[in-house]
Amino acid sequence: MDRRLLLGFDWLWLLTLLALSGAGIVAIWSTTDGTSLDSYFGKQVIYLCCALAVFLVLLYFDYHVFSDFIVFIYAAGMVLLVLVLIIGVSIHGNKSWIDLGFFSFQPSEVMKIIVIIALAKYYSRLEGEYLGLKELFWGGLIVFIPMFMVVLQKDLGTAVTFLPIYGVLSCLAGIQKKHIVFLVIVVAIAAPLGWFSLQGYQKGRIVNVLNPSSDPYGLGYQSRQSEIAIGSGKFLGKGFKQGSQGNLGFLPARHTDFVFAVLAEERGFVGSITVLGLFLFLSYRLFRTAREAKDKVGMMIVTGVMTLLLFHMTINIGMVEGLLPILGIPLPFVSAGGSALITYYAAMSLCMGVWLRRYVN
Amino acid sequence: MELQQETNKQFVQQRLNYFRYPVLLIFLILVARLWQLQIIQGSEYSLKAENNRVRTIELTAPRGAILDRNQVSLAEHRSSFTVLLYRESIKDPDATILFLAEKLAVNPEDLESKLRSSRETGLYRPIVVKEVAGMEDISIIEAHRRDHPEIQLVPEPRRLYPYGRLAAHLLGYVGEVTEEELDGKEFPGAEAGSLVGKSGIERIYNELLAGQKGQRLVQVDSLGREVGLLDEKHPVVGGSIRLTLDLKLQSVAEKALEGKVGAIVAMDPRNGEILAMASAPSFDPNAFSTRLSHKDWNALLEDPDHPMQNRCIQNSYAPGSIFKLILAEAGLQEGILGKNTYVTCTGSAEYYGETKNCGDRNGHGRIRLEEAIAKSCNIFFYELGRKLGISKIAEHAAILGLGENTGVDLPGERSGIVPSPEWKKKTLGEPWYPGETISVSIGQGAVNATPLQILRTVSVLANGGDVVTPHLLLDAEYGPKEPEWPVRHVPINEDTVRRIHEGMWKGVNVAGTGYNAAIAGIDICGKTGTAQVVSSETKKRFPGAGDDHAWFVGFSSKENPEIAVVVFVEHGGKGGTVAAPLAREIFASYYKRGN
Repeated sequence: MDRRLLLGFDWLWLLTLLALSGAGIVAIWSTTDGTSLDSYFGKQVIYLCCALAVFLVLLYFDYHVFSDFIVFIYAAGMVLLVLVLIIGVSIHGNKSWIDLGFFSFQPSEVMKIIVIIALAKYYSRLEGEYLGLKELFWGGLIVFIPMFMVVLQKDLGTAVTFLPIYGVLSCLAGIQKKHIVFLVIVVAIAAPLGWFSLQGYQKGRIVNVLNPSSDPYGLGYQSRQSEIAIGSGKFLGKGFKQGSQGNLGFLPARHTDFVFAVLAEERGFVGSITVLGLFLFLSYRLFRTAREAKDKVGMMIVTGVMTLLLFHMTINIGMVEGLLPILGIPLPFVSAGGSALITYYAAMSLCMGVWLRRYVN
Repeated sequence: MELQQETNKQFVQQRLNYFRYPVLLIFLILVARLWQLQIIQGSEYSLKAENNRVRTIELTAPRGAILDRNQVSLAEHRSSFTVLLYRESIKDPDATILFLAEKLAVNPEDLESKLRSSRETGLYRPIVVKEVAGMEDISIIEAHRRDHPEIQLVPEPRRLYPYGRLAAHLLGYVGEVTEEELDGKEFPGAEAGSLVGKSGIERIYNELLAGQKGQRLVQVDSLGREVGLLDEKHPVVGGSIRLTLDLKLQSVAEKALEGKVGAIVAMDPRNGEILAMASAPSFDPNAFSTRLSHKDWNALLEDPDHPMQNRCIQNSYAPGSIFKLILAEAGLQEGILGKNTYVTCTGSAEYYGETKNCGDRNGHGRIRLEEAIAKSCNIFFYELGRKLGISKIAEHAAILGLGENTGVDLPGERSGIVPSPEWKKKTLGEPWYPGETISVSIGQGAVNATPLQILRTVSVLANGGDVVTPHLLLDAEYGPKEPEWPVRHVPINEDTVRRIHEGMWKGVNVAGTGYNAAIAGIDICGKTGTAQVVSSETKKRFPGAGDDHAWFVGFSSKENPEIAVVVFVEHGGKGGTVAAPLAREIFASYYKRGN
């Protein structure tokens, strides 16, 4: 590996990632039982080690390796998505997991990154100032085919994340105003259709955000308990293992989707804005990388990853704070879970690769 | 080619710069919301988190028992379970209502109205769903603890009156304290939801009986399971109290009044200890231990016989010929009645233009005080009353304890009326007519008294001058071991006492009006009374409209007065035929046990 590459390694960036994961592990430790390798805490530590290994290994590869062979990688990803529909197992009602025995693996997580690279590669090869309708259509196909597969797995939360990737990268590639109008009309027609295809509980969640007091014991229960957890943390928080909302089970999915509420309860306003600050710093690093990337494919890959990251963060924290409907989307780097953690570290590795190779020809 | 791509890249870079603003806006919104939740509303949410986590379980103190003088329990506590609904733990309201309706047989409409009426109270305050849970309910609730953490069982002591209607008026009943009672600070230490005595002994000795309730502060998880004890204050069990009442005598009195409307009181004339106090008709105080339905409550209130009223103390009646004893005492004390003072009774006499009759229309002839008492001669007492005048009559009635509360340890006592010219001027604004004095002389007119007042007055004559305070409390576990009861001594000559005793003894034992009370071998002294409710003329026109009140009051024995009894039967008829036999039963029972 190039010596210049090593010298340019952004330690602050990696430390930010480790700080977020560390905050997550402490929150998981605080709110679940046990510290053995089999506990949520133990598993998360192992996942973090795996994720770090993946991060370092991937750093050795030039991102062009992935973008050049993206057709094959994309095809392999699609095979996995088909496979998951056949041999996949259901966890929490989503048939999106492949059981590898020691590890349950979610191909849809990896597919998000593959889609980002594929779309970045496709758009970066275009030479005009603006996107034509044809390019917009092909780009859409790259995104919507895997997204449709994920919808088939009934994993609505993951499926939704494909949309902003398509939207942001299309904007970056130069979408025309008339096409935006066209897309808005398509969405306006599709949205009511989508509403009718939603499950009853999913509709309820959306209605509930619009009027949380309408049903205090029904679907609003989770949002209400989450708000109580965050609010009761006040300025400094209740301290390690002192959060009653988390530890007495009032918070749902407290180590996964609602881990931010645990953090806010036990670490208070200070802890929660620190986490938001870390995300902001990370966004800044990604933004800088995108701006200074050597080529368009690198720029678009980093922007795609940034979009994915910010989208997940916004949806998750917005949901935990009671601003958005409850979608089963975990908080990047912080929530318990292996697939997502490893995927994010891989994506970060990809982006830091773009940063380190910004001068390399 | 290379150059064109570079130009193209510039456009992309420019567009990238625009993304900064929405990203910053998102962070701003998320931080603002955190500020709102944690800083602005932090205290509010802290309270909500505490209410989630901490549940206060009230531990009701078992109420002390009420015992008779021989330690037989007349009111006691019994453990039972109440089913509570914690609304804050409800996850699926429909499932909860279905479970309560199907498994615990709770009427859904009642439940809904309860939920509606409790809408304003805090969600952490439980709602009583079922008062007395049966064994089956308990096992069902235990089995479904996980699915229905909102439904909880709480042990609650309940009041049990083993003898039901017996002595119900004096024992009283318990119920939840009302808001008015709380506002009026009638029960020190009572809080909303406390069980307090509503009437009788339960009310007057509430503080001795109630004990102090305790509290458990527990930490619960989201399923409502207790996961830790934060604080506990044990309840202080209420103390028992012992009454002067004798269960056996009480039973006899209750039985004597069966099917009648009236009152019987038996008392030790020496110290005022009440041995029996019955009022009929009665009610079952157990009915109040569980929430009484509106219908049953109204039925009790609207019953024309007023079963909730303790006739021994809560209503006053014309004493009729019983009042002649007061005139006798006044006459003797004022020196009007000498050893050989006679009155000639011809069966009727004219007073102030009105013809007054004696009970015996043939007349009693020349009659002395003793015989006049025994035979209840009206003419003798008309004459005596006329000589005494209303002021002296009123003075002696007051000396003997009429017209004032006896001070018995029961709530709601009436004081009766001793009429006098001053009284009439004050209440009616009219002058006193001499003819009224004649009516009062035989206990008619405005004079009236409660059965217990009559009994106490006769006790003064029996014991020779001690106006005792009738009472029910013998001793209390957490209270006075030997409570002091005031006694007022009034000067009565021995001769007065002797002559009245003689008259009363003859009334029962020598061809007197009270012969139905006589028991061979026991020297019972007594006086009957038949109080007119409506005038003789009215009665002639409306036969059956208001039969006379039947009275009998007496004590035993003549030499050693140790029990005094009053019997009152509302619209019962003649005192001698209706009331005297009931008194006999009380005396008989008292002496059968060898007292």
